[in-house]
Amino acid sequence: MEATPVKNLSYKDAMAELEQILAKMQSDNCDIDSLAAYTRRATELITECRSRLTATDEELRTILAQLDK
Amino acid sequence: MGRTKMDTDHEMTDSPTLTIAGLDEQKSMSLLELNQLIGSLIMTPATQRQWVTAELSDVSPRRNSHCYMELIQKDDGGVQLAKARAVIWGNLYPTLSRKFEAATGQAFATGLKVMVCVSASMHPVYGLSLVITDINPAYTMGDHLRRRREIIARLASEGILECNRSLQLSDVPQRIAVISAPQAAGYGDFVNQILHNPYRLLFKPKLFPATMQGTQTAQSIIRALDEIAAQQDEWDCVVIIRGGGATSDLQGFEDYDLAANICNFPLPVIVGIGHERDTTLLDYVAYKPVKTPTAAAEWLIAVGRSALDRLNERSQRILQIVSERIAAQKEQLSYYSGILPMAPLNASRKHAERLNKAILILTDISGRRIAPAVRALDIAVSNLRTSAQNAVVRQKDRITAKEQLLSALSPQSVLNRGFSITRANGITVTDASALTPGTQIETTLAKGTITSVIN
Repeated sequence: MEATPVKNLSYKDAMAELEQILAKMQSDNCDIDSLAAYTRRATELITECRSRLTATDEELRTILAQLDK
Repeated sequence: MGRTKMDTDHEMTDSPTLTIAGLDEQKSMSLLELNQLIGSLIMTPATQRQWVTAELSDVSPRRNSHCYMELIQKDDGGVQLAKARAVIWGNLYPTLSRKFEAATGQAFATGLKVMVCVSASMHPVYGLSLVITDINPAYTMGDHLRRRREIIARLASEGILECNRSLQLSDVPQRIAVISAPQAAGYGDFVNQILHNPYRLLFKPKLFPATMQGTQTAQSIIRALDEIAAQQDEWDCVVIIRGGGATSDLQGFEDYDLAANICNFPLPVIVGIGHERDTTLLDYVAYKPVKTPTAAAEWLIAVGRSALDRLNERSQRILQIVSERIAAQKEQLSYYSGILPMAPLNASRKHAERLNKAILILTDISGRRIAPAVRALDIAVSNLRTSAQNAVVRQKDRITAKEQLLSALSPQSVLNRGFSITRANGITVTDASALTPGTQIETTLAKGTITSVIN
């Protein structure tokens, strides 16, 4: 099954998928082959969520510039 | 003081040089004297220890010090009719406030309608104020709170009081519609704080300006809310903020329409109005009431931070799971590679052991089955030998007996007994008549032989 690109997920859905992956990774029947795939996907989700939560310097400058107008 | 007054007077005349001359004629008193005079006029028995009813406003108790406030009176429409500065001296305030709190169940604070015993006092520097020396707690709560209670009860009976509070705040409220007075310090503080938060959390605030004091407050805020509602998908929440100010200015928020609007609003509304000590009607209906604009910013940052913490915790857990799993696999691999060289050896040893055991079993079986047979055989052989020997012995005995008999019957034995054998020409002579003279005969004795010739 092709996973939805993380950019297209809502924050809530991304977190829900992250939880699911964590649960699978923690279960006893998670084999080492799936582990790599799970980790890759989870990392994508975390990176995406974090980038939505936090601002880059550039974004901050843009917002602050708008305030000064 | 007097000179200033004179200067002013003489600006109206054309001859400033004459002013000095006029100084003596112009009667005046110092401000201090005037204030003292006012004081003496005010501080008569009629203005001392009078019980008055009034509403409390701007009550600012200070720890271990005097409590200053304003006493106000309004008409039914809320228009202020009277206002006076009042104070409870520090030595009395703890007793009075405790007495009031114990009786009414609420703190001595702004918004309460009270009956107090006052004495008018005129201080030359601080002016007129009412010194409160007693309070009648039986006189119940002020109009503000009574009206607020009525509004809350109405909202509850309409079933909307809890509506905004029951909304689901988005996981991370980042798009924030801010209702504030545009130039207000509280707004500046709020924006500054959320945009410069130490976790670099991304917030997108937008101002929806409104009048935040006076009689226009409620309608102005409702207009801003309507504007936000028209584009509600663009926003995660609404923040209504106003910095402090005189508490009596907060009356604009004690409005049914505004409260009902917030109750029914489709997005969570966060309210941060006034100072630490202020409470408004909106605090009872908002999704999240906080004390100040700064506190509103802190709350939003805390929500975002907890989302960030959740994220960091997940990534820590993934790291931990992955490293644990890989470590376990490595351990298993090294276990296998450790036992690999030993495996053939162990296998052949095991086979050898099995072989040995088979041999042992076999030996055991043969021992148990064959040994008795061998023993029987041995016995048979031994029996055979014995009986053979016995037979031989018996035959020997018999032969010996025969021998003895034989020897007893032998010619030698006869000879030994004195008999002799006479042979002629090698033939035994048993008949003497058969002999002719001259015949040589040979006589055999037991020992030796005699040769003789017949005569």
